[in-house]
Amino acid sequence: MKVAFVVQRYGLEINGGAELHCRWVAEHMNKHWDVEVLTTRAADYITWKNHYPKGTETINGVTVHRFSVTRPRDPERFGRLQNRLLTEEHRLEDERRWLEEEGPLSPSLIEYIEAHQDEYDYFIFFSYRYYHSYWGIHTIPHKSILVPTAEKDSITVFSLFRDLFRLPRAFVYNSYEERAMIHGIAGNEDIPGDVVGVGTVVPHSFQTEAFLKKHDLEDDYIIYIGRIDENKGCAELFDFFIRMKKKSEVPFKLILCGSSKLKIPVHPDILYLGFVSEEEKFAALNGARALIMPSFYESLSMVTLEAWAMGKPVLANARCDVLQGQCRRSNAGLYYADYNEFTESLHLLLSDSQLCDSLGRNGKTYFQNNYTWDVIEKKYLDIIGSLEQETE
Amino acid sequence: MVDEQKNGEVEDAGLSNRIDYEAIDVEDIMTRLRQKIAARPTEKDEPEEGLSSWPDDVPAYAPEPKDPGKTGRVKRLLIKIMRPFTPFIKLLAYPIHRELRDTIEILDQTNKRLDYLYDLQHRHYEELKPKIININLRVNERIDIAFNDINRLKEYTKLLHTMTHNLVVEMTKLKIEEENVKLKTRILEKDFEFLGRKEKALEDELFK
Repeated sequence: MKVAFVVQRYGLEINGGAELHCRWVAEHMNKHWDVEVLTTRAADYITWKNHYPKGTETINGVTVHRFSVTRPRDPERFGRLQNRLLTEEHRLEDERRWLEEEGPLSPSLIEYIEAHQDEYDYFIFFSYRYYHSYWGIHTIPHKSILVPTAEKDSITVFSLFRDLFRLPRAFVYNSYEERAMIHGIAGNEDIPGDVVGVGTVVPHSFQTEAFLKKHDLEDDYIIYIGRIDENKGCAELFDFFIRMKKKSEVPFKLILCGSSKLKIPVHPDILYLGFVSEEEKFAALNGARALIMPSFYESLSMVTLEAWAMGKPVLANARCDVLQGQCRRSNAGLYYADYNEFTESLHLLLSDSQLCDSLGRNGKTYFQNNYTWDVIEKKYLDIIGSLEQETE
Repeated sequence: MVDEQKNGEVEDAGLSNRIDYEAIDVEDIMTRLRQKIAARPTEKDEPEEGLSSWPDDVPAYAPEPKDPGKTGRVKRLLIKIMRPFTPFIKLLAYPIHRELRDTIEILDQTNKRLDYLYDLQHRHYEELKPKIININLRVNERIDIAFNDINRLKEYTKLLHTMTHNLVVEMTKLKIEEENVKLKTRILEKDFEFLGRKEKALEDELFK
């Protein structure tokens, strides 16, 4: 069976989101199918400027075909148009223009899909909101499987997506909340789909002691891993943490790992480590009391799964229904909706190590039951298997 | 490390005692935490600094009074005597750089006040930012819900429209059908009448 994975960007340098999700799934499913990746030459998700050379290459054993982006995104023009569409009455044509402005505009990728559709059994599209998914699925709906990686976003109200969600043969959802949201938008309960997500692999060894020594960490700490951005709820996290620190005498620190798009407040108990290697990340996570996930919008938080894989509890933002849902289903994390809940939950985690251990244990079990690669691969195989049966 | 934190953790300890560590129920823990928060006496909000009244640490505009000195006193006396020629004397005895210095001092004071106001504004903005984000999120959520409702209503309206259209078509078809049936009935009535007449004529012929 030959399966194409279609995604907006693809490369070893791309470290997060749907692109990494796609790469991991493609590399794992390459064992079962003849996998090829169809993507653009872009590396930057803001402008989609051509970065990688055009043509075909092999990355970790997977064949990757790259297609040029004909026009990079103008972020200002795109922002203006999006604001207008979100606030004013508009037509489907306006939304299609928005899609072109959003990009990555790569008509040659769609032409390739159309011309070579008979060579592939299925096309798995990642990220519903981009040009490649919309026009790709419209080109070959009968062979399309969509991994929407959708989060609660104001653009989901666009009628363009309501129609898109009714087209594919099947869906691969990241969470139950995402599935409910898409069903609510499109009323497409009749289209088959399963909640799958993505797996992760925890390294066998990591130097936690060395990490603690290197950063002179004697007190407990909670850790945030990811892009430090206002959209990820980091501004609120800083505010809550500093306010809590003013009133509380509990000695604990907040460790931040990841690239920063936000000014990090200067505070003796906030330690910013910048972008860290995978080994250091797992060492830091292993030494932490808990992982904090302040994000308002998540389709699936990979780092939360990694924390659970390591047996660490999570303190999540309750306003992100996906995170809250995962905490409830796994019984492996607490959540907060405001400052009071933040302080109380954090105090509880910091003061009750038995609770942390139990939550961590639950997290590990939840991870092993749902997010190991064996489980993920089986779910993908089952989805395609059921489509094959349907075809017969 | 922190497990032995004492103060303020008494209540947490109370909560911990009620947790079944073998069968953790996160929802139950969160409900209890919320009950605990609700039961707590509400803290008074810190009074917000209003811009109408100046806080104590605002540098006030107060140039330091300076001792005019002997020369100054003589200059003042001379100026008083020579009041009609004041502008001319001022020009000679009150050097321009002195006026410049005074002006710079005033500007310096003003700068300090501006710096303070800028800091104050920045602080206010930083304080309000999370609230603004929060409100923005809530508004967005409500808008999402409203949009979903509107979309659903639109779909219902479309369906109703289609249904009404179908009903009109069906009614028209039925009307045509009814006319056809009426016509057929009339034809049958006439046939029946004709057959009746024929029957009568045949009877007459037979019994003649």
